[in-house]
Amino acid sequence: MDNWVIAMMLGASIFLGAVALFAFLWAIKNGQFDDEEKFLNAAKFDGESELNDAVNIDKKREELKKAYKPE
Amino acid sequence: MSNKIPCTHCHLEFNKEVMIVDGEHYFCCNGCQGVYHLLSDEGLDGFYEKAGNVKLTPPTQQYEDSSNFNARAFYDKFVKVNSDGFSEVSLIIEGIHCAACVWLNEKALHKMEGVIEANINFTNNKATIIWADNIVKLSGIIDMIRAIGYNAYPYDASLQEAHANKERKDYYLRMAVAIFASMNVMWIAVAQYAGYFTGITQEVKTILNIAEGVLATPVLFYSGWIFFRGAYYGMRNRVVNMDLLVATGALLTYVYSLYITVVENGEAYFDSVSMIITFVLIGKFLEILSKKNAADTLDIIGKHLPNEVNIVKDSNIVSCGLDDVIIGDIIVVSSGEKVLFDGEIIKGSGSFDESNLTGESDPVYKSIGENVVSGTTSIDADIHFKATKDFAHSTLSNLVSLLESAINKKPKIEQIANKLSEHFSTTILALSFLTFLVWWFWPHSFETAFMVGISVIVIACPCALALATPVATLVGLSLGAKRGILFKEAAQLETMAKVDTLVLDKTGTITIGKPEVVKEHIFSKYDIELLHSLVKSSKHPVSHGVFEYINKNYDNLKVVAFDEFKQIPASGIVAHINSTELLGGNYRLMQDNGIEVQHSSSNTLFYFAVNKKLVAIYELRDKIKDGAKELIEGLKKRNIETIMLTGDNENAALKVAHDIGLEKVYFEQTPENKSDYISKLHNEKRTVVMVGDGVNDVLALAKADIGIVMGSGSDIAVDVSDVVLLQDSLSSLEDAFKISRTTYGLIKQNLGISLIYNSITIPLAMAGYVIPLVAAISMSVSSLLVVGNSMRIRYKWRQS
Repeated sequence: MDNWVIAMMLGASIFLGAVALFAFLWAIKNGQFDDEEKFLNAAKFDGESELNDAVNIDKKREELKKAYKPE
Repeated sequence: MSNKIPCTHCHLEFNKEVMIVDGEHYFCCNGCQGVYHLLSDEGLDGFYEKAGNVKLTPPTQQYEDSSNFNARAFYDKFVKVNSDGFSEVSLIIEGIHCAACVWLNEKALHKMEGVIEANINFTNNKATIIWADNIVKLSGIIDMIRAIGYNAYPYDASLQEAHANKERKDYYLRMAVAIFASMNVMWIAVAQYAGYFTGITQEVKTILNIAEGVLATPVLFYSGWIFFRGAYYGMRNRVVNMDLLVATGALLTYVYSLYITVVENGEAYFDSVSMIITFVLIGKFLEILSKKNAADTLDIIGKHLPNEVNIVKDSNIVSCGLDDVIIGDIIVVSSGEKVLFDGEIIKGSGSFDESNLTGESDPVYKSIGENVVSGTTSIDADIHFKATKDFAHSTLSNLVSLLESAINKKPKIEQIANKLSEHFSTTILALSFLTFLVWWFWPHSFETAFMVGISVIVIACPCALALATPVATLVGLSLGAKRGILFKEAAQLETMAKVDTLVLDKTGTITIGKPEVVKEHIFSKYDIELLHSLVKSSKHPVSHGVFEYINKNYDNLKVVAFDEFKQIPASGIVAHINSTELLGGNYRLMQDNGIEVQHSSSNTLFYFAVNKKLVAIYELRDKIKDGAKELIEGLKKRNIETIMLTGDNENAALKVAHDIGLEKVYFEQTPENKSDYISKLHNEKRTVVMVGDGVNDVLALAKADIGIVMGSGSDIAVDVSDVVLLQDSLSSLEDAFKISRTTYGLIKQNLGISLIYNSITIPLAMAGYVIPLVAAISMSVSSLLVVGNSMRIRYKWRQS
């Protein structure tokens, strides 16, 4: 077996592992583990209307951001 | 009963007759009806489908005016402006029962004009709300939450808790990186070890070294950053701490391994680098988990006080910030409110609860011309009074500043591990340097000398030492938690183990704190419902005791509506119904009404007379809690001296002391007396535990080395205390002593194990017999020994 195979496999697996790690870190930072109930409930109950709500909230925030001038 | 039906909104079940009928719906109260209609008007009735059959709390009438929330002072304190310029507040929402409640609140808030984000945490009922302040005010948001049947009050998230959470999260991130990288490094290290024994080409070795190096780098510089920071602060204060030892050990090994990788000759030890950091980081994290934040005490009093009072200005009642009140202002206090200023009553009268200051639960009656004291609470008095001091100089502020200084001056007993680690680190660093020099001058190559020097640090690297205390205290904390004993900080276990003096409060600590009926004398038959209704309306502890007694012994009592009802302060209650006169109260009430009664008893007596004829006497007594005597005896065996301090009078104090076998008793103690006494004990070099429950114990609780409060104690007392006993029993107090001593023993054992381990391995390392590879493995063994020993104790306790 050539050495480059070892190097490549090590590199690829460390890279993949790192991707997973960064996803995990992002999730922690994002507060996804702060409330153990909420995300489970969302998976159980959320439907179309909740998705629409989420989009509407984002829209509303953008609009307000444009219009809003803090004193 | 079959004719009970659930309310459409809250699902609580009531008899059909008492329900409000509204079309096909039934409601238990106007509040539920209102919320139901609001939700269907707003298109939020999907809530009921989601909620299923969960029982909710019916909405209650809100007395507080929500426009208070728009006050400048309030905004300054609780509302933050975020980076986009929007306002942000943290609220605690009351009444959340299920996921549907969270859904409803979020949905309702999102529908509001101007609200950008509402995020409610179901687990702890805390909400973060972001809104545009020019469109909607905070009061509007809170009104909305109240309108749909919940209540919200703000809390200051910038303080302790948020800080602690942030720190914890930071550790999570660092540990995630460290554990991920270490696990992978270990796999690669397996290949290295296999190659070491069976032969491996230098190229493959270099490839493996590079991969290990890539993984070890974030561990050292990201996860290990905490140690570099700690070492730096330690150096600045001229302290050699454990962080310095870890940081130098890991950094030197890392640099050496880099060098080996580059010159392609010798063994690299990246696995040791990541192992050391990961292990010690876990130990540190356990410590953080069980640590109380120092900032915790800052806002204790503030959160229990309103920040505005009502004053009379130009014959109008206006609200006014506490600091804006000047001497001579007329302040309005209605029943149930706290008195925040000292002053003289100019209108009205009523009883006040002064237990905050005196510890005595009997209400004090005051009328025009008498002085009210800040910190007391009006029970039934609606009064106007003239402020004689401003807020900064009031009795209350005085108490607050005394309390703050007591907390700041709380003695800190140095922890055994801290004491040890400083000497340990210095010794190891010196030994390692010495080893390096000896090996170098006793002609060896620089590499060999350097490696042996490093192996001393690595093998001594205090993984076991770092884990010894946190693992042991964690065991102690969990043993306590199972028995309803909450230690707020792990270090307190150690302090408590060294205690030699126990100071007890009487009312509520040794005794139950509420008078209970111990004997009933009935002279002629009477309608128990009359007495039940009579005592129900009074808040006096004695009538409450009688009320509890009747409730316990009779079922299905109807409430009687009296034609006339009057409470006579310091005497009792008088009521009229259909030309029947009811009198309930003490000896004086009977005498004033010309009723002849006998009154010799060591207990408190409650007389009940119908139409000027005595029909019953109830004897009440504040009972001593079960196990008080056993506790005192048990503590004597442990060489702990027990002292009782009480605000009560001599007779009552001595009687209780005699009953439980206490010798040292001090009575008629004010809160200041109590705290002075603790200081006196401190001057005698004693370590003191104070056990109390009321606000009058707060100063002493804060000053004692360990303040223990019964779970039923007042909020402030719980806040300043170090240990909370959830079950009010005295046996859990004894358990607290036992657990702390066991834990302290365990800490000493664990430290002993790691030191013995080090004293064997360090000489070997100095002699050059231990290469870092072996050191790294044995390091895990010593850590496992410490953890295993702690588990052993836990297991032993579980069995008992």
